[in-house]
Amino acid sequence: MSARNNASLKAAEMRRMKGTLSLLFFAILIGLSVWFVEMDIFELVQSIPLFFQFLFTDFFPPNITDLGTYLGPVVDTLIFAVVTTCLSSFLGIVIGFCMAHNTTPHSSVRLFLRGVIAFLRNIPFLVWASILVVIFGVGTMPGLFALVLFGTSFLSRVYAESIEELNKDGMEALDACGASYFQKIKHGIIPQFLPSFYSWTLFMFEINIRASAILGLVGAGGMGSILKQTMDLFQYGKTSTVIAIMVILILMVEYVTNRVRERLI
Amino acid sequence: MSKSQMPIPETLLMKESMLTKKKIPIAHKQTKRQQQYFFTTVGILFIVCLLQIDISFSQFQEGVARIPSVLSMMLQMSFTEFPGLASEMVVSLVTAFLSLVLSIVFAVVLAFLAARNTTPNRHIGMLLRFLFMIIRAIPATVWVLIAVASIGFGTMAGVLGLIFPTCSYLVKSFSAQIEEVGQETIEALQSVGATWWHIVFRGLIPTLLTSFLAITAFRFEMNVAESVILGMVGAGGIGLLIQGYISFYEFSSLSLGILMVFITMFLLEFMTTQIRRRMSN
Repeated sequence: MSARNNASLKAAEMRRMKGTLSLLFFAILIGLSVWFVEMDIFELVQSIPLFFQFLFTDFFPPNITDLGTYLGPVVDTLIFAVVTTCLSSFLGIVIGFCMAHNTTPHSSVRLFLRGVIAFLRNIPFLVWASILVVIFGVGTMPGLFALVLFGTSFLSRVYAESIEELNKDGMEALDACGASYFQKIKHGIIPQFLPSFYSWTLFMFEINIRASAILGLVGAGGMGSILKQTMDLFQYGKTSTVIAIMVILILMVEYVTNRVRERLI
Repeated sequence: MSKSQMPIPETLLMKESMLTKKKIPIAHKQTKRQQQYFFTTVGILFIVCLLQIDISFSQFQEGVARIPSVLSMMLQMSFTEFPGLASEMVVSLVTAFLSLVLSIVFAVVLAFLAARNTTPNRHIGMLLRFLFMIIRAIPATVWVLIAVASIGFGTMAGVLGLIFPTCSYLVKSFSAQIEEVGQETIEALQSVGATWWHIVFRGLIPTLLTSFLAITAFRFEMNVAESVILGMVGAGGIGLLIQGYISFYEFSSLSLGILMVFITMFLLEFMTTQIRRRMSN
């Protein structure tokens, strides 16, 4: 009895020591990082009220004189998001089926696609967008391609993951019946996979709305370009109107996708 | 002689052809109708929107013609800029880390005030949830732009700008965890007469610590991706250099920068997956 007590005490002590050590490690890490960027914590704390003062004096009241001219970019953003989500979900399905280990035609295809997709996904899409701006010039085209690139890499990964997580019994039964590859996909995979397909695709639509709102910052069209324009001209009243429109748009889209999701699943 | 070559009686043949023609629908009717409805709507929307976008084919052709030269320039990677890029990469990581640390401090407190079952006042909880919903709807990049406009260029603007989206994300995830897991603990502690402080510090924080850490690790990955982008709008870090290379057409240094971003993000993803796997065990 006492031996067991001793052991559990020791374990508790070990755990406490581990906790202290990791806290110490974190403290050192914080100290080092503050030292590295030569940042003054007090200055940061002081700048917070400055930031709020700026936010409330310069951004309010919102200037709504040009409200009509913002309508075009808002519609553009929506159109952008619809087109890029459809394109990237189509490409994502094809690549996702080739990437999941239970539906891949060949394991070398799977490995190759995994590498390419990991590379595309891990570079932030604003970097892709600005490279594409260099290649295609300013306009809607680089933004469109950047979103498709980003969306395809994200969707093919999550599609492949959800295909791999599916129940294997149905596939086995179809195998036993002698079903061909496409028959197996049609009857064994797709019915099970559809709920996660809907949910991820709708999620992608939300992400794309946000993304196309900031794409304009690198000169790739959409709402971000007015945002940048008004900020560069110090017309912060107009900026706050644009931000308010953006917030309303994003919240509305979130609401609609949630309703659709509830209906479908 | 195999079975297939044996003559088959005519009656059997008839039956087989009849069998192949008759299909028995086994799909759930309502689900099927919903699926058809969804895909038709999306298809129509897609075609309508595609017609609205004006893409000039000549621009596309010119761009495609430019790809090989850009690629060949990018493949001649030069390592002369490596020290600068490495130190700026660390600045990006530090920006992400510091803003995360500061946000955790705020978020832990605010999450307990915002969660439905631990909020001391129902109206305060509702107000906080509404406020954070709006903060979350504004993209992180826009927050950083506002911070840059108010306190000038530099790392501090990046940290300050990232605090808002990070904090709102953490508050949302933390309070979702509290609402999901906490109810039983709260009831048990309330039944023995614990105060609010006891419930939070003795009951909830110890049980929720691991899931909080998992959420934080995931958010760190997102924050690094954001802080790489932030440089491109003027808030220090590797994005500043990358944006500079792009605008001055220095593709040989650009490819090194992109490669470094990729390696960092890849390692981070690997690490957070490991951490989450260990925590779930």
